[in-house]
Amino acid sequence: MSAPPAFRQQLLAAIPRLRRYARSLVFDVQSADDLVQSTLERALGHWRQFDPRRDIVLWLLSIAHNAHLDALRRDRRLDVLPPERMTEVLDAQPTLGGDVGLRLDLTAALERLVPDQRSALLLVLVEQLSYAEAAEVLQVPAGTVMSRVSRARVAMREWLDGGAAGDGPRAAGRPDLRRVI
Amino acid sequence: MSRPDDFSDTDLSAWLDGELDAERRMQVDAWLHDNPEAAARARLWAADRDALRARLNPVLGEAVPPALIHTVWQHRAHPHWAQAAMVAGLLVAGAVVGAGGMWQWQGQRAASAIAAARATDAAGTPAGWVQRAALAHSVYVPEPRHPIEVKAQEEHLARWLTRRIDIPVKLFDLRDEGFELMGGRLLPDAGGKSAQLMYESIDPGAPKQRVTVYLRKPDAAAPTAFSYRQQGELGQFYWVEAGAGYALVGALPKERLLALAQAIYKQQPAPLQASAPTR
Repeated sequence: MSAPPAFRQQLLAAIPRLRRYARSLVFDVQSADDLVQSTLERALGHWRQFDPRRDIVLWLLSIAHNAHLDALRRDRRLDVLPPERMTEVLDAQPTLGGDVGLRLDLTAALERLVPDQRSALLLVLVEQLSYAEAAEVLQVPAGTVMSRVSRARVAMREWLDGGAAGDGPRAAGRPDLRRVI
Repeated sequence: MSRPDDFSDTDLSAWLDGELDAERRMQVDAWLHDNPEAAARARLWAADRDALRARLNPVLGEAVPPALIHTVWQHRAHPHWAQAAMVAGLLVAGAVVGAGGMWQWQGQRAASAIAAARATDAAGTPAGWVQRAALAHSVYVPEPRHPIEVKAQEEHLARWLTRRIDIPVKLFDLRDEGFELMGGRLLPDAGGKSAQLMYESIDPGAPKQRVTVYLRKPDAAAPTAFSYRQQGELGQFYWVEAGAGYALVGALPKERLLALAQAIYKQQPAPLQASAPTR
């Protein structure tokens, strides 16, 4: 038996949030939507495992997280974007407004974070989950979420300030970030 | 009097996220009042948060791509790999009976897959019963209501299957490898009967995975080598040992499936003479 219409409706309603989270993880629109696509497929294939008392968005974010980790393992290119492709990728971003300088470096700093810290930061700051909810999605203790968010903040701010630009986990061979704030 | 090192970045970060209890929040409030440098840091972090939201929130307002909507409405009960396994069977059938058989594609995919299994049997390849194991896996694993015939909790499962298929059936414990026995069922096999044991992954946070173990009394001439083959996402380890044929089937990475196969191999009921399986 396949997923009932009510379940599919809930998925449809959750797509915009899944797309936002996916976009923050993989940056370019097509890869992000591929991630949403595989998240939806996994959810539909395992709809019986969903406990309707749970928040479906948390459940879906958790599936997206797992799917993202699988994709990273499968294809490291999703993780590290070469700097020469940055402009091309950003040109494809319809959401970039007038203040391109600020946003470009925000994206660069976000992308430079190690994936564990980036996921925690995005779930708490952008998806506005509590530490306990983010811990559920990431399947780590809440204390781990707390320290990852904090370390991500400190690292991003340092890069945005133009300080210690070479200290990033994968900064090798990258141009220094411009100071913008 | 508070000192600047009273609170860490972690405290300040949790304060900004509203994750501190009331008492600790007030302590940080007071500390920030006396530490303009820390207060400035918190303001910058808040600005970064707002910039991140401003950067990503517009995605919420974008039109949802039709392909995603299509996925939600058109997704079938059977996952792609189940179809893939059947198609793979059909292709073998085509090779054996000739291209004239291809018209069956329209309505008789399952029948064709079974025909394919028979055809490979007739050709004397070892894949015949392994193909049936894969087919049985594809048929029962996606089944939400009756994936199994007899539940693992029922004590007589092992005895019942042992009597039916004429080889000792042991309920392998794969919990160390993250899988729990759901139960089993009896199946028709070319030469008689076979048994299928189904296992489901334990990890509650991850999407559930199922693997099946197919057991049968092997043909006298069946090769005994520990072998692996892959059809679409579906991996299959199979071997014949001490009078029993085993096929482990699952849509898992090969290494994960190998670990399960090794666990089964170590637990199989008959005396172990051959060396442990390796890739």
